[in-house]
Formats: sequence, C-alpha cells, structure tokens
Amino acid sequence: MTILDVRSLSRRFGGLQALSEVTFSVDKGEIVGVIGPNGAGKTTLFSALVGLVRPDAGTVILDGKDLAGLKPHTVASLGMTKTFQNVALFAESSVLDNVLTAGLLRHGVDAARREALSCLDRVGLRTVAHKQAGELSFPERARVELARALCTAPKILLLDEVMAALNHAEMAEIMQLIRALREDGVTLLVVEHHMRAIMDVCDRILVLNFGRLLADGAPAQVAGDPQVIEAYLGRSAEKARR
Amino acid sequence: MKRCLALAVVIAAVALLPLLLDSRGYWIRVLTFTLLFAAMAQAWNIVGGLANQTSLGHAAFFGIGAYTSTVLLLKFGISPWLGMLAGGALGGVAALVIAIPTMRLQGHYFALATLAFGEVMRVIANVWTSLTGGPGGLSVPFVPPSFSAYSFKLLRPHAYIALAALIVVTVVFEMIRRGAMGYRLRAIKQNTAAAEVIGVDTTRVKLQAAVISGALIAMLGTLYAQVAVFFDPDTVFGVASISIRIALIAIIGGVGTAAGPILGAFFIIPLEEIMNDLLSSRAAGLSQLVFGIILISVILWQPRGFIVVLGSWRARLARAVAT
Repeated sequence: MTILDVRSLSRRFGGLQALSEVTFSVDKGEIVGVIGPNGAGKTTLFSALVGLVRPDAGTVILDGKDLAGLKPHTVASLGMTKTFQNVALFAESSVLDNVLTAGLLRHGVDAARREALSCLDRVGLRTVAHKQAGELSFPERARVELARALCTAPKILLLDEVMAALNHAEMAEIMQLIRALREDGVTLLVVEHHMRAIMDVCDRILVLNFGRLLADGAPAQVAGDPQVIEAYLGRSAEKARR
Repeated sequence: MKRCLALAVVIAAVALLPLLLDSRGYWIRVLTFTLLFAAMAQAWNIVGGLANQTSLGHAAFFGIGAYTSTVLLLKFGISPWLGMLAGGALGGVAALVIAIPTMRLQGHYFALATLAFGEVMRVIANVWTSLTGGPGGLSVPFVPPSFSAYSFKLLRPHAYIALAALIVVTVVFEMIRRGAMGYRLRAIKQNTAAAEVIGVDTTRVKLQAAVISGALIAMLGTLYAQVAVFFDPDTVFGVASISIRIALIAIIGGVGTAAGPILGAFFIIPLEEIMNDLLSSRAAGLSQLVFGIILISVILWQPRGFIVVLGSWRARLARAVAT
C-alpha cells in the first residue's frame, strides 16, 4: 500500500534547479534511502515534502491526501515530519521540553510529558532529560532531534543525516532503532552519507543527482548501476578514453 | 509548598501596605501606580518575554482601554467596569490587527513596527477631537462614590484593585508559561522552522499571545484612567511614558519570568518618584540624568535582570539554612 506518492516535484532557487521532476512512491512500512552527491537536492526534497519549501510544480500525496499549500504543522498532524540536517533543537530548553513540545501535537501537557519520556527511552537519553539541550554533545543532540520527531507520532518519518558524526557503536544503535520503528509501522525515508549503513538498513534506494532522480531500486541494484557510480566517482578512465 | 507559602507572605505584606499608608497621601498613589505598572509589564511579558518579541507599541492598546471606558462613561454614562470589558475587546482586536502584518518580523524590525503603530494611535487621538477631546485630554467625570460606578473618595480601594489586577495578570502569565502555549512560544522563540515541522501552528500561537497581551493591557488602561482622573493622548499613548517604560520594567526585573516585572516595577516606579522628589528642584533634568545613570548601572551589573540576584540570594539562604 502506497503511503507517499510524489509526482514531478520541481523547485528552482534562482539559477539552480534544486529539484527537477522528481517522481517516486513509498509503500507503508518501507525503509527508503535517499543518496546523492552534495548539493543533489536531498535536503530540498525533504523540505518540500513537509511544506517548509513550496514546490514550483508537482504533487505530494500523503496517505491519499494532497499536501499542496499545507503548512508544516498541518503536514505533521497528518503524520509526516522530518529531522534537520544540522540539528535544530531548542537549545535553551531542557531535553525533555524539546521532546514534550512535539508531543503537544496530539496530547495535553501531562500526557505529552509521559510520551516524551518514552520517546527519550527509545533513543536511550532518558538520563539526560533535564539537561539543557544546548549542553549535549553533537551525537546526543541528533538523538534528541530523533526523539522529538518520534514524539509527533509520525506515520512517515524523514531522517536527514541523523547518523552524521556518530561512531560505529552509536550508528549500530540508531540502525537498530530504525528497524524497530519499522516494526511499529513507521515508514522511513533516510538521507545518509554513510554507504554501508544505508545499504544495510534500506529496502530500496533513491539516487538524486543535480535535482534529478537518477536511480530507484534495491541497494545491490543501485550500487551496481553505472550511472550512479559515475555520479559519485566520475567517469571511469576506460570510458573517458573512448 | 514552600514557594506557595512565600508567595502568600509577599501578597499579604503588599495587601497590608495600603492600610499603613495615608489614604489621602502621596505614597499610596505611588504604590497604586507601581502595582498598575507591574501588571502592565506582566501583560507585556506574554509577548515580550515568552514569545521574545520586544514590542515598543503596547501604549496603543493601553490608550485604547483608557479612552474606551472614559468615552463610554462621558457619552453614555456606562460604568467603567463595563467600559473596561469593551476596552479589553477593542484592545484585543487592535492587537490582532497589528500582529497579522508584524508577526513575521523579528528583533529590531518588530520593535520598530510596533513603535510606529503606537505613534499612529497617538496622532489619531490628538486629531480626532470630537471623540477624544484632542490634545486637551479627557477628565473622568466625578460620580457619587460606589464600587459599581468604580468611583471612590480615597485611593485605598484603587490600590487594592491594582493589586487584584496584578494578581490576575500574573496568574494568566503563569498559566500560559506552564501550559501548552508556553512550550509552543518557547519553541517558536528558539527555532520557528523546527517548531512548525514538529506540529506547532506558529502563526496561530503568536496571534493568540498578541491578543491576550493587548486585551489585558487595554483593561489596565481603564484602571489607570480611573486613578489618574485626567489624561491626554501624549500620556496614555506615549512612547516613553508607557511603551518603553513597561518594556524597561520587565527587562530590568527579568524578562520571561513572573517575578521579573514585579521586581522591576517596585524598583523603577518608586525610584523615579524619589529622584523627582529629591533632585527636580536642584537643576532641570538632573533627576532624569541620575535615574538614567542608575538604570544603566543596573543593566550593566545584571543584564538578565533582578531575578538573577533574587535567585542567588535564595541559593545562599538555602545553603545557610542547610549548614
């Protein structure tokens, strides 16, 4: 069953075509990776999906509902939210308050607090719940960001490089969490630079390059795609000679 | 529990003050205005503290409240209590009207836009002579003293009404701060995009805060008119006399906290009076000069307000009790 259907999504920033006719769909319960070189349009794609950036053309259908013109908070209440690549916590608030605020989308303050504590449990940060968010290390902040997104009870969650700056053990924990979320019925769209991680955890991978969708397929298939290899590594010497 | 007890003691102490002061005298008047300005700064604190939008135009709503109740009393004989509700409603509407175009602005731009709005209201009040009496101002007519007519022979009841108003506004502020709206406002203040993405309707929350704050300030405008008995556009719509003064009170006391505006008012309003009393006969402008120097020193000493000093005293006291 399709939960997210994206058709011909385009967005231009001045002279840069950040997204160009991007079309794909995601099934319920899938984990889909989004990869591509720097500046390929991955973050713009996420921003356009949740309504932070308004697309010039194209449609986004979430669970049968057209998201055209909706603001991010409405998209969140319909069940789609994202994390921020550079981590956008409320730095002066406590960790708990960061997550609790997201819980208010569906609960009153007391229920939101309980919900927030259980989300912090999931990412293993309950012990720092009362610390100020700005005092945490970068990997911890990324996990708070994840807990905060979870606390909106999303149907589909867009993770923008939550594993950046994590060590191997931490990365393994997050990957385990991603799989556990799928077990709970959450669909995930994941932007990540770490290839091994993404190949390992994703059912399917989308490759973006210069705002275009270059490939869409199973990890092994995408990894062997000559176009994808070219986008990442440039043309092979053999090919260039020809 | 301890906090409640401390709070009860403070309220009781302030409630006793009007009984100790000469009810025809000067100091009960200072106390009344101190309580009123504390309430105003507290209402400002909803927008200026929780949403962190430094409004310099709150005189607009204050003046609307003062004029609404007084004009209704003069023209139709309507009790100022009802006039206060009408003024509150109008103040809320005015706050909504100004908030819609300005809420996307931040920092200095927001301050300047609201400042301009306050000035527009002052100019309107000065030229719309048929309604406001123009620059000549309005006198609140004398009616036989009674509570329902909001008319009293002495200042004591005014002091208690101002105290009640301060308590009400402070309770509203605390309920907002601790409730869902407080969390949402703090989120918006720190990162609007992130707040939106996790489901905060940032536009609506900002508008709600602006309307509540504007309506409360307008209602306090009525209380001011009833105590002052006479006012003109330059006082109730004044930038320095109202807009900046209430922002200053909240800032010097501690922005975003319930105690801040109260501490600030009890410092600034009596200090101004004392300076005027001591120095205004010596040299023109000397009292303002000294007042200014004191304010600058305080801000340099405690940029985050008196609330910080209060916090460190409490910590020291706790340590002293513990040992």
